[in-house]
Amino acid sequence: MDKLSTLINGAFSRRKFLAGVGVGAGAVATLNLSACGSSSTTPTTPTPTTPTPSAPTDADVLNFALNLEYLEAQFYLYAATGSGLEASDITAGSASPYQTVGTVTLGDAAAVPGLTPAQQEILNEIAYEEQEHVRFLRSALGTAAVPMPDIDLSFFGPLAVAATITTAATGAGSFNPFSSFDYFLVGGFIFEDVGVTAYSGAAPLISPAGVAAGYLTAAAGILAVEAYHAGYIRTSLTGRAIAAGSNAAYPYLGAANLVEDLRAMLTVGDSAAPSTTGSVETLLTLPTSLTTPSSIVAASAANAVGFARTVNQVLHIVYGSPTVGVKSGGFFPSGTNSIFATTTA
Amino acid sequence: MANQETLVLDDIIATNRRKMLTLGVASLASLAVAGLGVPLAKAAASYTDSDILNFALNLEYLEANFYYLAAFGTTIDVANAASMGAGALQITLSGTVGTPGTVSGGSQVPFSTIPVASYAIETAVEEGKHVQLLLTALGSSAVAQPAVNLGTSFQALATAANIPGGASFTPYASDDNFLVGAYVFEDVGVTAYHGAASLLTVPANLVTAAGILAVEAYHAGLIRTTINYIDPTGTSIGSYTNLISTLRASLSQAGLLGVAPSPYDSNPDDYGLATFSVSLAGGANATATRLTDADPTNVIAFARNTTQVLNIVTGGGAVNGTTVVSPAMGVFFPAGMNAGPNGFK
Repeated sequence: MDKLSTLINGAFSRRKFLAGVGVGAGAVATLNLSACGSSSTTPTTPTPTTPTPSAPTDADVLNFALNLEYLEAQFYLYAATGSGLEASDITAGSASPYQTVGTVTLGDAAAVPGLTPAQQEILNEIAYEEQEHVRFLRSALGTAAVPMPDIDLSFFGPLAVAATITTAATGAGSFNPFSSFDYFLVGGFIFEDVGVTAYSGAAPLISPAGVAAGYLTAAAGILAVEAYHAGYIRTSLTGRAIAAGSNAAYPYLGAANLVEDLRAMLTVGDSAAPSTTGSVETLLTLPTSLTTPSSIVAASAANAVGFARTVNQVLHIVYGSPTVGVKSGGFFPSGTNSIFATTTA
Repeated sequence: MANQETLVLDDIIATNRRKMLTLGVASLASLAVAGLGVPLAKAAASYTDSDILNFALNLEYLEANFYYLAAFGTTIDVANAASMGAGALQITLSGTVGTPGTVSGGSQVPFSTIPVASYAIETAVEEGKHVQLLLTALGSSAVAQPAVNLGTSFQALATAANIPGGASFTPYASDDNFLVGAYVFEDVGVTAYHGAASLLTVPANLVTAAGILAVEAYHAGLIRTTINYIDPTGTSIGSYTNLISTLRASLSQAGLLGVAPSPYDSNPDDYGLATFSVSLAGGANATATRLTDADPTNVIAFARNTTQVLNIVTGGGAVNGTTVVSPAMGVFFPAGMNAGPNGFK
């Protein structure tokens, strides 16, 4: 098989993915050993009823990830230090079609008060690691790097209302992830599983040339770091709930599960979103004995393989909208700086 | 698009692969540039997706038996009340390639805390599902479960790592000891799947491998977080993680044997839980935990090639001076891994 057909097939599979019928909905993780080197298998025509964008470039894929990393980095940096990314970390690459550097709507964003030294060190770590992901992606993209879009860190409040968290964790008050360590954990929880699945979903979009350039390996390595973070957040919520003794005594675990419910609901508008039999959420549980399993890992119940989300599914979550055709909202009030900015399925 | 650069790259890849075959060495991650859809390289490759997945299966046999024994007091092929109560799969050892071996050592941990017990049970269940997934996918190509030593192996490793009392160390004695035993495995699983990701040729396999990679990283995050909560200042088990990581990094570097490492491997390629200094948002340096095992600059998880991984799990058995030993034997795999004719062992 020649190189050209490989590239064409790769483009087809990527379009298929974008159309929402690809491998992104991770509940159907499979292994296929029948055709090793099967980039030579017959390409399938994309579903005709769905608009078919042209195949994204690797820069498009990495820039989408960069938008998400900007969001995560700003959240964790403000939580850890009360300051955000340096100006030099959010500028536009000279070749980027997006040249306007966005601003951060802070809302309640501030250094989380009342942390123990050990908790502060943990926030410092995650903030640093997301900051370095921003820098790594910007470096890899060079002049193609998009600038930071507008980011709204006050969206946690409306999101929590939508998730009905106000009645569970905070009583009549509004949800503020910057108000305590436990609220921070719930805030972090909103992003971390999503980050893991976004990288899983994006991996197949990377072109053969991009694979050769090492992008796939880089994405897999960042995916792993996001999963470390998610493991940390979920372990902390579970451990603190066990220590408190009940869901009533530690309402943050229940609040995190409400976030999961909301994420699932938001992706309903995506025609490729899994049904109830294929959820990409794994609810946290409160183990109550020495013989009860925990539920730290978010993965398929059938085979313990981590989930993937399509670009569309990720957009629905960060825009806080289940609607098709939405191009901004939620954490990104002016949209993402990306060719993927609009929900298409 | 194919351009001059990628054509040149393909030539380099093909040349390197031939060199690899001459050496008889599976130096994989260093050739991570030769991933999906690069047909020229593929034609020269001697391994298949089955070889890569069988390598993973050997590691999953090891991990699953460790967690089953610790959580339930039984191996993966024998059900008991504890394993059935937790919903853990009873694995039919259907793999036939290679030489079947037995599992020695290991016993149920007398857990005393709910968090650690519940994590052990969850992880056992998930690793069992990974074994089953790979066995099912590989079918008649699946390797048999090799001889696995889960008893004296830990004493050998603990001694080599200079853990106090290492000569009598057993991970089955207490909650704390179990966490140290689990620590030995989890980060290694992450680096192994990361190193292999870009070598898989079937896109569906890549997605699944990425999903398993995520789960291994969730587990690793879980273990590191839990150890950090128990010993935040590194006076007991926290300090052991530094010793273990130093040993793993040393064995990993020895496994390179002059072959260029992956772009996402460095020296050292392993960090324990000792804190480190970071610069956040342009402010003064701050102290951070290290709940993520990744390079401190780009914060991308490490990728190891199969020889590096083999050298770790065999306690140096993959290397004799400057020569590769195949099959690598020792420590956890006293008779080596099982592999197909061109597989990794």
